[in-house]
Amino acid sequence: MTVSELLPFLIPLAIAELLLLFITLRHILTHKNYKRGSRALWLVVTIVGLEFIGPVLYLLLGKEDN
Amino acid sequence: MRQLTAFTKKELRESLRTGRMPLLVILSVLFGIMNPLVAKLTPWMMENFAGSLEESGMVLTEIKVDVFTSWTQFYKNTPIYLIVFIVIASGILTTEYQKGTLIIILTKGMNRWKLILSKAFSALLLWTVCYWISFGITYAYNMYFWDNSMASHIFFGAFCLYMTGLWLITLIMLMSSLCSTNYMVLAGTGGVFFVFYLLAWIPDMKKYIPTQLMSSYSLLPQAADVSDFMCAVVITGVLSVVNLLLSILIFNKKLL
Amino acid sequence: MDMLTLSHVSKSFGSKKIIDDLSFTVPEHCVYGFIGQNGAGKTTTMKMILGLLQTDSGTIKVNGETVRYGQNRTNRYMGYLPDVPEFYGYMTPSEYLRLCGEITGMSSAGIRKKSDELLHLVGLDKENKRIHGFSRGMKQRLGIAQALLNEPKLLICDEPTSALDPLGRKEILDILLSVKDHTTVVFSTHILSDVERICDEIALLHNGRTALKGTLEEIKSRRKGNGFDIEFYTPQDADAFAASMSGSERISAVRLFFPGKDEKDMTHAMKILADNALCVQKVEMREATLENLFMEVIGI
Repeated sequence: MTVSELLPFLIPLAIAELLLLFITLRHILTHKNYKRGSRALWLVVTIVGLEFIGPVLYLLLGKEDN
Repeated sequence: MRQLTAFTKKELRESLRTGRMPLLVILSVLFGIMNPLVAKLTPWMMENFAGSLEESGMVLTEIKVDVFTSWTQFYKNTPIYLIVFIVIASGILTTEYQKGTLIIILTKGMNRWKLILSKAFSALLLWTVCYWISFGITYAYNMYFWDNSMASHIFFGAFCLYMTGLWLITLIMLMSSLCSTNYMVLAGTGGVFFVFYLLAWIPDMKKYIPTQLMSSYSLLPQAADVSDFMCAVVITGVLSVVNLLLSILIFNKKLL
Repeated sequence: MDMLTLSHVSKSFGSKKIIDDLSFTVPEHCVYGFIGQNGAGKTTTMKMILGLLQTDSGTIKVNGETVRYGQNRTNRYMGYLPDVPEFYGYMTPSEYLRLCGEITGMSSAGIRKKSDELLHLVGLDKENKRIHGFSRGMKQRLGIAQALLNEPKLLICDEPTSALDPLGRKEILDILLSVKDHTTVVFSTHILSDVERICDEIALLHNGRTALKGTLEEIKSRRKGNGFDIEFYTPQDADAFAASMSGSERISAVRLFFPGKDEKDMTHAMKILADNALCVQKVEMREATLENLFMEVIGI
């Protein structure tokens, strides 16, 4: 198995993940209040949990619903 | 009609601006890619594990990866996606109850049944789009790497799973007209699902139970036939309509 | 013509009777003050008028049509401003007004024209931000814009001023006064100075009934003849006067109070003063203020 064989997966995956990361970061930075946690916490969670887990956690648990 | 379109537009704008829609769409893309990717990686992962497995006395035979491996992943992972979807959708009415945002809308003359229908419609629309995106991506990869024509009833099988989601969303609507917090809605929906799941253990009932639709993978290697699922599909459809009707009737009398 | 009629309306929550056989009518083009303590049932009454709460008995008519719980056909005549108006935070004010307009069935051009006009009226025309950053006062103003959007015949405001600072209160009251020509306004409050400022008629709600109702003048004049005070310069003058006119109460060294006396008695008193060449600081009729009426009714 070579990397080139995986490219058809990796490129769209990377695009989708970066998009999700971008949306989440924008949401964190444009909002002052969160359901729980603080801005710093969510930035760390989002960036460390890059593999879409972090963003999902934020959008599920941290985002204010309005 | 004007009220329906106006409120549906409001719902879609809400899910877009609160990030719910982008999240769900991107997740559906990720899930769609993951299914064939995991299938593709299976032999490589097995090779890596082979060494340690041999030590414990297990011998690996050659693993054959084909289109069925990828579709198995689809039927394994999509329920997880469905759970995420349901959790996110569970606040569809309860957040509005808690914030009191519906009061003004209703005093503006919004018909209650139209409110429920618009909400249900926009949630179902989102589910439809997300589900078929995920399906479409998996389908395209499968076509590229393997051969979809080896598996039978791919579309009907996927439709069965799609119907389960549809039914659960209407159940969310029903629970939302009964309960006031989204935890209660989730518990109620989970409870009903679990009851049906248990009912499916009764052999005679099995054919008619909505939760049975989640095992529609068996159609692909022709371990089951379309007729085995037809009853459940029809019943799930009927139950979904009943759920919506009940939620309208209950919401009509709901104290806000 | 009567815009709003409540006849024999009752409502209980559990065993507690909140509204007990309440009846009143609101004529067209009037500002109707609905006064009561916190918890007197003002919000409950308003929610019943809007069809958001079920009445136990009695009927409510808006513009001649009976209100039915859950169905809101009568709501097309009404605009409602809740005590704490809640909006969708992700929308801008004009987007929100557009949603409201589409729900009431206004034409697209009509919505644009009316919402521009109203946003200007309430001073939010420069705000293109989303609502989630709005202050309480801004939300209250957007609430009024929303309530007036469909040119309602009846505007119902639930304590529109109680959470605002004096300036914000004045602004809201001015807006309410300015729409009086086209709209009948019913507003609840416990701030009596607001009532005296803008109301034509009032109803005072106590123990689930109207303890007092009528036009502001009527109510005040009904309590006329409360008596009058005379304040002298010296205690000797006061003594002398108390001897020559009966029925006085000594309030302080230089001040006499004549309870229950009317205007005729007052002119008589002034004649005595003139005859005896007594000089006074002031002679004053005791006017009934809304506040002491309120206190009297509630029994404090």
